[in-house]
Amino acid sequence: MRSTDAIRRLLALVLGCATLVPALAQQSRDELAKSLPPTNLTSDDVQVGASMIGVAPGFANAKVADNPGAPGATAVGERTCIACHRLESEHFTHTFHALGLHAASKADASIPVCETCHGPGSAHAKDPGAKGLIIGYTKDSGTPIETQTKTCLACHAGGPRDRWLGSVHQRNGLSCTDCHNPMAKFSAEGLMARASINDTCAQCHRDVRLQFNRRSHMPLPEGQMSCDDCHNPHGSVTNPLLKTNSVNETCYQCHAEKRGPFLFEHAPVRESCLNCHTPHGSNQQTLLVTPLPFLCQQCHSGLRHPNDLHTPGSLGNGAHPDERAMGRACVTCHANIHGSNAPSGPKFHE
Amino acid sequence: MRTPRLLRPLPLAAAIAAVAANARADSGVGVDTWRANKLDPTAGATVEGCDARGTSWLEAGGHRTPTGNLYACPPPSPATADHGAWTTSGILSVGAVATGGDDGNALWNRYVDWDGGIVLALLAFEAERAADGSYASVRASRISDDDEYYQAVFGRAGSYKVQAFLRDMPNLVTNTAKPIWNGVGTNHLTLPAGYAAGASTPDAIAGLSAATPERTLGVTREKQGLGFSVYLTPQWTAYANATDEQRHGARPFGGPFFFNFPFPDNGGVLETVKPIDDSTVNLSGGFRYAGTTWRMEFGYSGSFYRDRYTRYTYEMPFALAPLVPGAVSAPLTTGQFATEPDNDWHNLKAAFTRKLPLNGELSITASGGRMSQDDTLIPPVACAGVFGIGLDGNLQTGPQNPYLYDCANWNTPDALSRRSADMRIDTSLLDARMVLQPGADLTLRGGLRHEREDYRNVYLAYNPLTGQYGYVSENGSQGSVVPGESGIWDPTDPSAITRIRSLPLDMQTTEANIGADWKVGARDTLGATLAFSRYEPNHRERGTVDDGSIKLSWTNRALDWLTLRANYTYLHQDGDRYDYDPYDFTYSISLPGFVAPPNGVPAHTVDALRKYDVASRSEHKLDLMATFMPRDDMTVSASLRGDFNDYDADLGRKGYDTLGATVQWEWQPAPGSNASVYYAYDRSKLRMANINEINDGGSNPSIGGNTYVDIGRWWADDTQRNHNAGVVLAHAFGRVRLDASWNYLHARGTTDYRFASPLALAWADTVIGDGAGGGAFPAMTYRVNSFSVGLHIPLHERVALRVFDLYERGRISDWHYLGFATTHAIDHRVYTDGGPQGYDANLVGVLLDVRL
Amino acid sequence: MTAIERVIRILLGGALLAAPLAHASDDLIDLRDAPPVRGDAVAGKAKAAVCSACHGPLGVAVVPTFPNLAGQKADYLYWRLVTFKRAGDADSPMTAQVAHLDDAAMRDLAAWFASLEPAAGTNGAAGMPGATIYRDGDPARGVPPCQGCHGLDARARVGADDAARARLYPVLRGQHAAYLADRLEDLATHPPHTSTAHVMAPIARTLDAASIEAITHWLEAGAP
Repeated sequence: MRSTDAIRRLLALVLGCATLVPALAQQSRDELAKSLPPTNLTSDDVQVGASMIGVAPGFANAKVADNPGAPGATAVGERTCIACHRLESEHFTHTFHALGLHAASKADASIPVCETCHGPGSAHAKDPGAKGLIIGYTKDSGTPIETQTKTCLACHAGGPRDRWLGSVHQRNGLSCTDCHNPMAKFSAEGLMARASINDTCAQCHRDVRLQFNRRSHMPLPEGQMSCDDCHNPHGSVTNPLLKTNSVNETCYQCHAEKRGPFLFEHAPVRESCLNCHTPHGSNQQTLLVTPLPFLCQQCHSGLRHPNDLHTPGSLGNGAHPDERAMGRACVTCHANIHGSNAPSGPKFHE
Repeated sequence: MRTPRLLRPLPLAAAIAAVAANARADSGVGVDTWRANKLDPTAGATVEGCDARGTSWLEAGGHRTPTGNLYACPPPSPATADHGAWTTSGILSVGAVATGGDDGNALWNRYVDWDGGIVLALLAFEAERAADGSYASVRASRISDDDEYYQAVFGRAGSYKVQAFLRDMPNLVTNTAKPIWNGVGTNHLTLPAGYAAGASTPDAIAGLSAATPERTLGVTREKQGLGFSVYLTPQWTAYANATDEQRHGARPFGGPFFFNFPFPDNGGVLETVKPIDDSTVNLSGGFRYAGTTWRMEFGYSGSFYRDRYTRYTYEMPFALAPLVPGAVSAPLTTGQFATEPDNDWHNLKAAFTRKLPLNGELSITASGGRMSQDDTLIPPVACAGVFGIGLDGNLQTGPQNPYLYDCANWNTPDALSRRSADMRIDTSLLDARMVLQPGADLTLRGGLRHEREDYRNVYLAYNPLTGQYGYVSENGSQGSVVPGESGIWDPTDPSAITRIRSLPLDMQTTEANIGADWKVGARDTLGATLAFSRYEPNHRERGTVDDGSIKLSWTNRALDWLTLRANYTYLHQDGDRYDYDPYDFTYSISLPGFVAPPNGVPAHTVDALRKYDVASRSEHKLDLMATFMPRDDMTVSASLRGDFNDYDADLGRKGYDTLGATVQWEWQPAPGSNASVYYAYDRSKLRMANINEINDGGSNPSIGGNTYVDIGRWWADDTQRNHNAGVVLAHAFGRVRLDASWNYLHARGTTDYRFASPLALAWADTVIGDGAGGGAFPAMTYRVNSFSVGLHIPLHERVALRVFDLYERGRISDWHYLGFATTHAIDHRVYTDGGPQGYDANLVGVLLDVRL
Repeated sequence: MTAIERVIRILLGGALLAAPLAHASDDLIDLRDAPPVRGDAVAGKAKAAVCSACHGPLGVAVVPTFPNLAGQKADYLYWRLVTFKRAGDADSPMTAQVAHLDDAAMRDLAAWFASLEPAAGTNGAAGMPGATIYRDGDPARGVPPCQGCHGLDARARVGADDAARARLYPVLRGQHAAYLADRLEDLATHPPHTSTAHVMAPIARTLDAASIEAITHWLEAGAP
């Protein structure tokens, strides 16, 4: 039996058991709602017992957003918004925010829906043409970018967005809605502005996206991975916005076999995978920066065989077929080039 | 007060959290953020097309992002069905695909396994319970056995989420492989019957290679994942993920039995096939807190790599011959490779962020990790009998044959200074960042970062059985051809120069940066950042490498129809004195009994060479992005990116410049109709220089001494030019949707070289005369024309028909594989991979979409 | 030919036959990016003789169930005529009227009535209950403030310059209360198939009888 089959059966079992979790959690929550004081801190008129289920913790602190552009405005409620924005609401209803906000609003009427993100709507309802009276997230909405991001971060602070302030996208004046659009289900996951994460990043980073079409590339155009597998666009502890602490740690997430540490290391490999590879796409084999043997000859000028200049005469159809230039060139013999765990591997021959 | 009911299961929950595997993570941690395939990289997002009613009843057209890009069109509302409290919707898309033309080609089949026949293009099913926000969804797509994914998610919005997935991803490496060995995919490669190891002739092996049918080599990744995330309270969340990925397959690899190029009918260069049979378990889990003043994150990540094989062996077809007349080479038949060792990685991280007065924040992240492996070490050689050279003409070891060694003293773990690797690197990171916003228009930022990697062990290559140091070079072959070059240092032969010690690459990096962003008026923002970084590697050519950089940025929205972003960085890298050879301690040179050879220790390398990762350089980097909005329904984006590096190096990498420009026009006249055209040009040039020696035993590392002289210099430039262009169209003709796209890539790389004299060359007789000269390799080209068209025809309220065709024409020329069409085996070189090939291939498909 | 290819050809053939059947026309009048309506007011005056029977010689109707047309937005009037024509409702008195009007005539009539002096209205007071709903809406019921589209002074001059909205949304000030009430009922029960009706129809359904009474009387009063 293939291991996949075994795992599939195990998963089915686990999933079956896991379906019991919500049932258990739900019972606990019901009991909790009865035994502890109300936890809704957003308004005074708490409706205890309004719902047996209670408000989900993620939406419990949802409140009308603060819009400095409309200081005297008051909340009007979702129904008023929908009266004019019926089509937007129809698209919104099938998104994740709607699912959560509507359920929370049912359990606690003080939790707003539209106005959680868009701020109090009374001023906008009276003068919809005036920009900035409602928090808008599109171009020409009149709402400053800082207000937009601050509103989203009121619920979505922390986690992957912990380093937003000071990150390169924030410094370049991007808003959350440059990449996300929670008003409709444009993408299968992530509430992106386009049909996929990759298409969203490609709006601005088209050159990087096109590099993935080259001869050697990772399976991003084929939909098997996304820019988000390596990068955290919301900000990170590294300059290239990597999700881990370093370039190599990012690569090891999928290429753990290269982690080692090997008995005999190859210094440029341990320092950074990008010394030899270019991550987005290359015209050489295996994402190399430059063809072999020239890649290696940038650092190696040792005596005997590394530092000879090869010409087309060294190729398979040349006067002197030379293993140092043919096929995979240097790494045909130095095959364990990322590091060798063989006691006879100081030069990566084994 | 009794522990509230909810808290009692917490220890169990924590246990589950600790055990659960990495399923899909978020944009902060983990991979597997996207599951789709080549049939539909958007995972079903565009199946239903656009809502013909548009975005809003109040105004026409769509909206733009704050930068100015048009949003995509909202999809139509799904058709839902009610089952009690649950509302369900879904789509099932099944059909058939057929491929034609060069459909076995590796470039056509990279990362996809069409395997013509019935396909499950998409099964997407969702159920929601509006009353409490619970949901469950399933998504699956199956192109073939090796190319499929299934995922199931359920949870409650704002409360918890459980996700499980299963995915198989193919990766076809080559379709022109002609491995001469049996046992491809296993850890023991043997020659077929009739071909003796260590005794076959080049002609016989060339015939065997020619007779071997072409086959594919590739690797399939099978990954399973499970994960959950939960809101414990409105401020605290917890997550846990686990994934297990198995890789199966084989790939072209290598195999050294010493040079063939200087010694006709000698040595062995064997491109064997390495088996890939391993698994990686990745775990991650943590707790996050997001409050009004504080934010915290505590996380654990672990990764465990397990390889089925510790080594693989292969049979060597050819016999070796000694360079010395009258001597005899040991008969070697088996080569070996150590596969990647089983390794473990643990990492703990804690991050604290506190809001500061002046609308600021202070973030501190501390992280510590450990990479370790303690795999069983393979013996230094996999031979039987003897290895080395019998100077007196026979294969008897003894004082008369000092360079002949008993395999029994080296082919056993007893020949090692320790049985297992016991290597470990500890990593630590401390990062602090502060941002203050004293006014609405001013932001001040500063940061400090310190990270270290500490190697915790060193390996000494010492054989307790014989009291010798060193290792067995190239499976015993080097010493079997050249006397005294087995790689073994013997106290009685104290001038041998060989590696005896591993190279610990401890390092630490300290960085500091300060910056400010200033909103000049309502439309402009200027920013500046000064950064300094000190990289201190151990046992490298430099002990200190310093980077100083300044980055300036400008965002402008002065015109309603234009958003401009510009960034410029200048970086200068410098360091302490460059020591061209800090590696003596890893060689037998450092042993107490070492005696320098009569002509001195040969130079390790030329002292004018600068390894580019620690070399001094200056860099200019420029980034321009502009988004134009000529009409409400049109966007033109343009970008220019340049990165220019100048290395302060006489030899080594001298420069690396890249320049790219893109322009894209996009038009969305109506929902369901859009067109876009793009063109991109990308050019890179890498300049390097090196020098060939005139005396391969010379001890003077400087140019102009007895080893390296100016007439041995050479230079090479590698220039890559890429043109990308494409057109994408979509239009709704009534209820029938058409989409078509054409994508074109033309990549062309040229490697030019010039030399001071034929002495610089590998083969001086390939040029005429003995003066300076130059030339170029044949262009390395890759050209792809890809054309796809699809029709979506609604047949019924719930049923639609989709017909599509993808035609692709690829042309590739890689000079590494010139001559391989004739033969994969030249003299003692045997290659498996025949290289990439061009293709003309077509995929046609018919799908039936049924709304569930 | 392989089995797959045969299947594909059959399905393709079927699809091509089905394509025309699958085509369905959507007869929504999309006013969201409608170009401005221009007409010849003088020519419109000549054609307006018939209209004065119900709508008054100066566009101010005598019977309260017929609307005042004087000073109404030209775009609104034109598209109203178009919807009457498209709907072809046998019960409506306007159907017969528009039957013999061509597009140019409708534009001219719209321009003519738009040029007339709007009705003065009776004396009203700012304190009328309708004023509150018109100005602030009714958040509890989900009724947006009418002034948002119809202008603070009910002359549909919306706050910021927004071309499409300023042209299309009708002036309400000084309109007959009875007519407005009938119109709201129509919108609630069988709205025309236009993009703006998609906005007004749900609002009309949400308004209860008391609110309608209050608003319409306040509008008729013409108070600011």
